[in-house]
Formats: sequence, C-alpha cells, structure tokens
Amino acid sequence: MAGESVMDFSSVMFRHKVPAPKWYNPFKKQRGAGIAALDLTLQSGQIVGLVGTNGAGKTTLLRMMSGVLPIESGNVSTKGTIISDQELRKRVGFMPEHVRWSGQETVEQTLVEFALLRGCSKDSALEILGIIGLKNRASSALDSLSQGMRQRLSLGIALLGTPDVLVLDEPFNGMDPVAIDAFKRLLQSLARKGIAIVISSHHLFELDQLIDTLALLHRGQLVAHGTTTSIQERLGFEQLTEVCLDSELPSKLMKNLEVLEQSTTDAAHHMILQSVPDNLLKNIVDSGIGVITWREIQPSLIELLCAATGLDRQSIGMDVENSAWLPMRKIQEEEE
Amino acid sequence: MTASTRMWKLVMIVFRRRVLSTRMLIMLPILFLFIPGMAWGFSDPNIQLPADQIPETAAETMFLASIGIVFAGTMAAVLLAHDGISRDRQSGVLELRLSQPMPRWRQSMILVIGNWASIAAPVTILLLISMWLVGYRSDMWISAGDSVVFVLAAWFVLLWYTVFALLASSLAKEQGSAIAFSIGLWFLFTLLWVLFTTLIAALNGVAVGESKDAAYSVFEGRLDLLSPNGVYHHLLETRLDNVNRGVSATGAFLAALAWTLLPLLWFTRRIKQLVP
Repeated sequence: MAGESVMDFSSVMFRHKVPAPKWYNPFKKQRGAGIAALDLTLQSGQIVGLVGTNGAGKTTLLRMMSGVLPIESGNVSTKGTIISDQELRKRVGFMPEHVRWSGQETVEQTLVEFALLRGCSKDSALEILGIIGLKNRASSALDSLSQGMRQRLSLGIALLGTPDVLVLDEPFNGMDPVAIDAFKRLLQSLARKGIAIVISSHHLFELDQLIDTLALLHRGQLVAHGTTTSIQERLGFEQLTEVCLDSELPSKLMKNLEVLEQSTTDAAHHMILQSVPDNLLKNIVDSGIGVITWREIQPSLIELLCAATGLDRQSIGMDVENSAWLPMRKIQEEEE
Repeated sequence: MTASTRMWKLVMIVFRRRVLSTRMLIMLPILFLFIPGMAWGFSDPNIQLPADQIPETAAETMFLASIGIVFAGTMAAVLLAHDGISRDRQSGVLELRLSQPMPRWRQSMILVIGNWASIAAPVTILLLISMWLVGYRSDMWISAGDSVVFVLAAWFVLLWYTVFALLASSLAKEQGSAIAFSIGLWFLFTLLWVLFTTLIAALNGVAVGESKDAAYSVFEGRLDLLSPNGVYHHLLETRLDNVNRGVSATGAFLAALAWTLLPLLWFTRRIKQLVP
C-alpha cells in the first residue's frame, strides 16, 4: 500500500531533438515531441501503471525519471529537497524496454560490473541473484539466457543498491504467463518493502491486476493520475453492476432501475444496471429470487484511455504521434 | 570502496573483455607480423633501402620499423574500440549504463583507458621484443631513454586512435557507421595525409618531390602537427640525430598533449550529453 511521498516530479520537461535538415545545414535539428511540464508524486510502496498510446511519451518519461535523459526544466525533489541528476540516478533503479544481453560474460560478472557502476558491494549483487531467481544460472553466459531470464537480469540490475523508486519499461515483453505471474508477485513483494514502482506496459490485463494508481499519458502530458476509481469519476464513468438472477424481477423492483442491457435464457436473467439503489440486493433476496451473480463492472484501462484521450477503441493502438507536438490542456483545466 | 577504486576495477573489466576477445586473437598475428616483423626486416645488416639509406643506430632502425605501429597498431586500436558505445547502444545496455549514478566523466574514462590499455599492452610487449630483435640482429642496442620515448610515443598514438574510434562510436547510431567513420579517419591520417601534404605544399610553391629540399621538409614537418601519425613521428624524431623538420622537441610534446587533451575533452563532453 502507498505510504509517504518518496519523489516529486514538478513541471519536468524534455523535448527530443529531431532532424530538420536545411540546404545550408544538413545536420540541423529542432525541438520535437517530448514531455510537457509534468507533475507526478510517487509514494513508497505504490505501484503506478503508466498507460498511453504509441508515441505518447511513456519511454521518454521513464528515461527522464531514471536520469537517462536530462530534465530540461522543472525539478525532482525528495522530502522537499531538490536533488541533482546524479542523486536521481542513485535513487532510481531502471529497467529499459529492450536489453539484448549477449556475450560470453556470465550473469554474475554482469551483475558485479553494474554493482561497481552503482557503487554497491559484490555481496549485494550476489544477493540480487537469489531475488530474481537466477542463482542457478549465475555462471551461465549471457548468450545462453532465454528472453525471460534476460528480463530478470535487467530487473536485477535495476534492484542493485536498493533504490527508492523502480522504473520498469515494458517488463512483461517476451515473458511466458508463468514468468509474468512470478514477476508480478516479485513486484508486489518489492512494493510491500516500500519501493515505489512505476511500470509501463501494453499488457493492460496484467497491469490492471497489479497497480495501485494509474497515470494516463497522451502527447507528452499526464491527462489523468490517481486510483482507477478516482479517474473513473473524473472522466464521468458511471458505476455499472452486472446482475444475474434465476428469474425476472417483479415490476415493482424494476421501477426506478436504469437497465442498460438485459437478456434472458432458460436458466438465468442477465442485466447490466446503472446507479443501483442501496437496498436493491436485499429486496431481491427478500422477494425469493435467487442471485447467481452480482458484481460491479470496472471500465478497462482501454476504456479509460479512450475517455481520457478522446480516441476510439479501434484507433487507440494505432495513433502514433508525429513530431509536431501539440500540447493538450489538462482535464482539470477543461472542467473549470 | 572509493569511486576511484571502482573506476579502476571497471577499467580492468573492459581491458579483460577486449584482450580476451576474438578480434584480438585475430589481430595478434597481424600485430606480430607488422611490429617485430618490421624490426626484424629493418635490422638486417644487408638491407637495401631507397636513396641508399642505411640505419646507423638502433633508434633509426626502430624509427623505420615504427611503420608497423602506424599501420597495424593504430588499425588494431580502431578495430578494438569502434563498437565501444555503438554495440551497447544497439543492445540497450547503454541505456542501463547511463542510468547508473557513476558520473559520466568517469564512465568515459573507463571506456578510454580500458580500450586503450587492451591494445597498448600487446603493442608494448611487441615493441620491447622488437627492440631486442634489433639489438640481437644488428648488435646496436637501443638506449633506455630512446626506448622510453619510443614506447611513450606508441602509447600516445594508440590513445589518439582509440579516442577517435570511441568518438565515432558515440556519434554513430549503428555499428556500420561507427566502423566506417573510424576506418575513414585512419585512412585519412595514415594514407591520404601524404597526398594532402603534397597538395598543400605544391599550392604554396614548395618543391614537391625534392626529398632533400629543406623548405619542403620544414613545410611537411609543420603540416604533420595536424596529423596524429605526424606527431607520432615528430616524437620519435626527438631521439634521432641530424633530423630538422622545423619542429622542436618541446613543440612535438606540446602537439602530443594537444592531440591527447582536445579529443579527450570532446569525448567526455559527448558522453555527458549522450542519449541512448
């Protein structure tokens, strides 16, 4: 569960330099897409899911958060104190999206090398081997590792030096379902130890089950951040309830119900209801009708993303931003 | 463990990786053929050189044999270091390295020293073998002072080419461009520089082709300060008698210092601003 604030990103900004060749200067560059004045607070033990369309700026943001890309304006602070780039890199463990580990070096040698870069001991590097489940492959060459093992090694490197924040870019890529499950449990145990985790993934189903809060990114701007429920409310999602009964409701109970969808089979009567009255379930049970299913329907991450960006479901995965950077207004501002 | 100790440990990791690499195994026989091989050839008592040149001292023989360093040593330095950054960039490891808290200037020094040491070590051994070979064959033994300058000069020229190759590797987005850039630079300074020097001399009205012409010799000597191989030869010439190409020993060492510091500063700055 989320605890105290461990890191505050305040109005941080970065814009990529994109080629803009001219006849007098073929190497000329201009500022292109990037991250615009973004505010984000990370709390200890919190798992933040970063979701956005292709080209929304997820990787750029994660690289900024881990000190790989410079923060051009704005600042990063911990407990009210602004920290330098080097201090940021010390406090953040980063797992990039694609690391194709190769070569004859062993897993252990690689971890020890990064432990030296990070300033932690060889023993702590060897401890990490156990945490990421690669103890038995410590002396295996990088060339012999499977994709899942390579991802674990990248995670191990991110964990070196016990960082306050763990930044993971598409960690589930190339993993089988068993490995994903183990990986998720590992992340949850790390969060319980107080590490704040920021995770970007296109595996929305996996993300949905893992995260405490959601950050929706679009065109380099954070369009929504908070718990799924708070974002639903802010985006105007109504609470929907799926009800499955063994027979139809009597008309007196149907009164004042907003039924969005209903269907009847021989064995069950199925309905999707909006704004369910508090005493409805009790009244149904009292009237002797059997309740087969009663559950609240949460909008999926895709639906939230569609609502936040204004894009439809079909184009949500296809909308690749071009270098023309068009800042959007924040939702809160639009509401005012 | 201090930051410096960690840095040197990382240098040793890069050094081991390069020295034990397959490409080093391929280059070692070439280096052996070029460095001690040249020394063996030039120390032959019956050698026939153009313009009836006969090396009269061990330093002169080693100077002639330095062509092995110019051709094979520098090429090996380029081939060893050309993917020092581009390989990591392509595999995604660079992103991980750049996200580590070790200051980037230290990371750049690790790359430079590690890559340079991996070529400097075998070349130094081969150079020492060459000096022994010259003494053994011609019975002219090189002095301690000369041997120190010859080794130092070789270290300098290898360092310059290592930094060029790493710079190319940091500028290139993929390995093809990195190697093309590095080899192109090697080609320019090793093979095309003579043409460039001759062309500039001719445009300035200097008697080109007159090898005994003092004006041409001075002109060429000064222009050589703009080439790493030229500076390398100027450093070696500080140990030779009867050579006057218009550049003093101090001038040669200052040029060597400039060729060392300027690319190093550029490379460190480049690593500081590097994005994956």
